Amino acid sequence: MTRNALIIAGLVVVYLASYRVTQIDFVKLISEAPKAQTIVRAFLTPDLFVRDFETTTIRVPFPIPCGSAPEADIVSSGPRLVPSVKCAAEKDKFTLEGFSLAPNADIVVRWHFPDDRVLTAARTQTDDKGHFSVAVDAKPIAKSINGVPSQLEVDTNTAVGGWKASQSLKDVMQEIFVTIFMALLSTSAATIIAAPLSFLAASNITKRGVFGAAVYYVTRSFFNLIRSYDPLVMATVFGFWLGFGTFPGVLALTVVTIASLGKLFSEAVENIDTGPIEALTATGSNRLQTVIYSVIPQIVPDFVSYIIYHWDINVRISTIIGFVGGGGIGFYLSQRINGFEYNKAGTAIWAIVIVVWAMDFLSAEVRKRLT
Amino acid sequence: MLRVEHLSKTYPNGTRALTDVSFEVADGEFLVVIGLSGSGKSTLLRCINRLIDPTEGKIFWDNIDITAATPADLRHIRRNIGMVFQQFNLVKRSSVMTNVLSGRLGYANPWLSLLGIWPDEDKKRAIKALERVGIADKAYNRADALSGGQQQRVGIARALMQEPKLILADEPVASLDPVLSHSILQYLEQLNKEGITVICSLHFLDLVHRYATRVIALKDGIKVFEGSAREIDRAKFKEIYGEEAQEVRATAL
Repeated sequence: MTRNALIIAGLVVVYLASYRVTQIDFVKLISEAPKAQTIVRAFLTPDLFVRDFETTTIRVPFPIPCGSAPEADIVSSGPRLVPSVKCAAEKDKFTLEGFSLAPNADIVVRWHFPDDRVLTAARTQTDDKGHFSVAVDAKPIAKSINGVPSQLEVDTNTAVGGWKASQSLKDVMQEIFVTIFMALLSTSAATIIAAPLSFLAASNITKRGVFGAAVYYVTRSFFNLIRSYDPLVMATVFGFWLGFGTFPGVLALTVVTIASLGKLFSEAVENIDTGPIEALTATGSNRLQTVIYSVIPQIVPDFVSYIIYHWDINVRISTIIGFVGGGGIGFYLSQRINGFEYNKAGTAIWAIVIVVWAMDFLSAEVRKRLT
Repeated sequence: MLRVEHLSKTYPNGTRALTDVSFEVADGEFLVVIGLSGSGKSTLLRCINRLIDPTEGKIFWDNIDITAATPADLRHIRRNIGMVFQQFNLVKRSSVMTNVLSGRLGYANPWLSLLGIWPDEDKKRAIKALERVGIADKAYNRADALSGGQQQRVGIARALMQEPKLILADEPVASLDPVLSHSILQYLEQLNKEGITVICSLHFLDLVHRYATRVIALKDGIKVFEGSAREIDRAKFKEIYGEEAQEVRATAL
């Protein structure tokens, strides 16, 4: 009883201490939530496609007073300005609406006098649909001269040509493939090294006699030793060694993957059915033949499954490695975040999400087929 | 002729599996080894082809000392000794054909066999071996797609590939339905009649009576009986297997 009470008391102390050192602050978590909005919104609206724009000026003639000049024709489509009245007397007020202009843009409405002088009439903004509505005074200065009316005009950007991939989408596409290839290369290199080593680290194959046991323990310890270093530490080491870039990233991934695959492979080798080994040894086949005919068929599906799984894992890790200068999409992402270009960062984040999801799906499908 | 002299085996963990076992097997015999589980039957069979190295004693086969053979000699000796296992010991993912061909590895060109290249002659031999055990139509199935009885027949076909002079059968029917026991043992009996010596461990008294030309019994690693199958009656059987033992009859065909 007292022992259980002591254990519980001990656990309470440990959790209280961890609560304090991690400075948990739920109040702040809720109250500061709006700050997250900006960045989340930017991430959710990635920079994907752009169009080229051209600034054009849209005008509508407006006779002051009425009858002093021909009235404007009614236009009902395209970027256009529509006054609430077709003409007005001096000092009258009317409403000017604009349609199909650039959305969410600042708008300056100007009077363009018959003598080509210009005067600002109003300032406003267009809404999501490129529409605005603003009150305008029919100023005496804007009256028609010799049958020529003043015009109301706005500048707007209009799209030219179709949508095309933005520069950041192009960059992200390139970097994501760099990342996939980094993961592919490091996984392949690690497989080539880990597969033979794994047999040395499998107790049922190697651990025979003093020499065998020594080889077994040395290989095991080697795997455990390099496994205890995080990929980030490895990437930093290789980064200092070779300068930052994709090559040190690949090397860091390879080393980490050798340890991880080596351990998984050796466990797969240890879990095989030893019956066939015994049977083939009894037929008088040599050791290599026995391994090829009884061990290999049993481990190939496991090995392939682990390799694909690690490719998938390495795509994710290489993203993180990029943050410490390992190249690929992670490096691009860290650069954009450091430069406050959150929409571009959003493009990278979406690309990572899609690729990780696809790799996960692919590796699950392939592994399902390997039984 | 196989001669076992004062054979003892103590495992590294101290288990004494065999103590001073001696016997002889003449060519063409069907020797059955009986005894409780753990009495040393499997250890005895595995000492003969040195899957297990005996601690003491010698085994001579045609006056060659198996216990003193070098690794290369041992492989040559093993080629002539087929082995059939209780758990069949097939590579489950490989095809029946590959499993049978692997019985020929001791004869095959080491390098070509590593690449999975087999001479036509060996492939024909494999089909013939499968025909002998009546499952040539399953040659390209995966081994684990076969029933237990069929898998054991693949095991026999694999042993046949060695063109053995001796077959060691370690409880070949213990993992099978009793009704299948006879069908498997009849194949071994047939091979025995063709001149292959068979050493087989068995559990069922009626199977012992039916197939053995001679019997030895082990109890706690010590040979407690050697004689003809007929000499083993109920009383003797109880003596070997202990008082509590109840004989279970394998269903007769």
